[in-house]
Amino acid sequence: MAKIIVVTSGKGGVGKTTSAAAIATGLALRGNKTVVIDFDVGLRNLDLIMGCERRVVYDLVNVIQGDAGLNQAMIRDKRVENLHILPASQTRDKDALTSEGVEKILDALTEDFDFIICDSPAGIERGAQLAMYFADEAVVVTNPEVSSVRDSDRILGLLSSKTRRAEQNRDPVKEHLLITRYNPSRVDGGDMLNLDDICEILAIDLIGLIPESEAVLRASNQGIPVTHDQKSDAGQAYTDTVSRLLGETVPLRFHEYQKKGLLSRVFGGGRR
Amino acid sequence: MSLKMDRASMAFTFKGGMLPMTVMELTSADPERIRDQLESKLNQSPAFFQHTPVVLSVERLDEPHLSLERICAVCRAHKLLPVAVRGGADPVKQSAWALGLGWFPPQEARPRALESVANERDAQSAAAEHEAASIGTTPTGRIYRGTVRSGQQVSAQEGDLVVIGSVNAGAEVLAAGNIHVYGALRGRALAGIHGDHDAAIFCRELHAELLSVAGSYKRLEDIDPRLLSRTVQVSLSEDQLAIVALT
Repeated sequence: MAKIIVVTSGKGGVGKTTSAAAIATGLALRGNKTVVIDFDVGLRNLDLIMGCERRVVYDLVNVIQGDAGLNQAMIRDKRVENLHILPASQTRDKDALTSEGVEKILDALTEDFDFIICDSPAGIERGAQLAMYFADEAVVVTNPEVSSVRDSDRILGLLSSKTRRAEQNRDPVKEHLLITRYNPSRVDGGDMLNLDDICEILAIDLIGLIPESEAVLRASNQGIPVTHDQKSDAGQAYTDTVSRLLGETVPLRFHEYQKKGLLSRVFGGGRR
Repeated sequence: MSLKMDRASMAFTFKGGMLPMTVMELTSADPERIRDQLESKLNQSPAFFQHTPVVLSVERLDEPHLSLERICAVCRAHKLLPVAVRGGADPVKQSAWALGLGWFPPQEARPRALESVANERDAQSAAAEHEAASIGTTPTGRIYRGTVRSGQQVSAQEGDLVVIGSVNAGAEVLAAGNIHVYGALRGRALAGIHGDHDAAIFCRELHAELLSVAGSYKRLEDIDPRLLSRTVQVSLSEDQLAIVALT
């Protein structure tokens, strides 16, 4: 039985797809058979971030409508064994998704995989609700800014009421907070919300903190999930996040501002 | 300039208002039975019957034709002023209009969770409890455990609402009685929604977007910044919301 994890946020542009790709990659690197599904029908991005956009033939909607089989639509990742991608359709809209169709796909995948990562679209409409509906766990991606925190709060409300687990009165969806684009020096300067304030407002477990990093943008544009870049702080932070998702205790890193010494400033060393 | 002139020459302006109103929920259409009950009530709390406006709710009645005229006469004889009728079929609506009363559509069914203990008792004792509520005693309330999140609304149609957790920005908590928040109050809190002027709001950490007791309200902008983040009590004093720090 696979564990279904939705990566969601409410607000757009906070790093859902980047995080879904990085977490899926991290889980697969740890030997878990993982599939990551793009639910953002009409605005698909996951294939770009995963670097497999040239190999897309069929997509999620084709499978739902019976035009293609699951195995035809799933793309095997080139870099990591055990990792598969199910891309979204770019030519359709979110109404093409049906609850029965999504359930059928998840049921078919759950036998063969350890983890199913659902990359949710932004917003709280149909696409986002279907992405979260069948989830066992949720990773709520939040930026250290007021509007992102409020939208995450809204999503947490939906997770506790509009999911299969909630409707069937089973154990609630396990909610994890993932803070991305955290910049400790701007937090200290008062430009960004600080970690403790975000945790206090959202009142859920922190699963990871990803520092603002050039490595993320570079990884997106190259189509290589940032988890592969183990020299970068963001790559390491995602690896920590994956370990915590697997139940390990890992100390929090990158949340404090480290002043650069004279030497590292001169030689341009230190974190990338 | 011309705008100002216009305003000065206007005879009236329409304004939306939420006034406290007593709803008289009829469980019998018999004017004699209503008279008997009003009589005994009048002896208990004469202060209540001072040309008090009431809305007659006939939702619980199953009769298409009511002797609305006689019921109104009984009410007026006991210094209750029926101003409108709520619910009922078309003939009821027509006769309300004929009597110069307003008509409201039936109230939508309340959410299940709020129909607490009162629902299990028989209609008569429930009605008795409803009346008790209007003269000050608080019946059942509601306890909510957890964070009330943006977009969520938690309400207690009867009694107090207790939130063991925080109320986040964009969330709304409402109660007929008091509201207690054992956490930060960042959203909206409306106490005394049926017009109870003695209702109050208590919270551990004040950041509320809006505070309201029996229709009087204050926005975050109106709140003295020195009171923010503090443990406070909010209540009505001389029709003004008073916020008092408790620590």
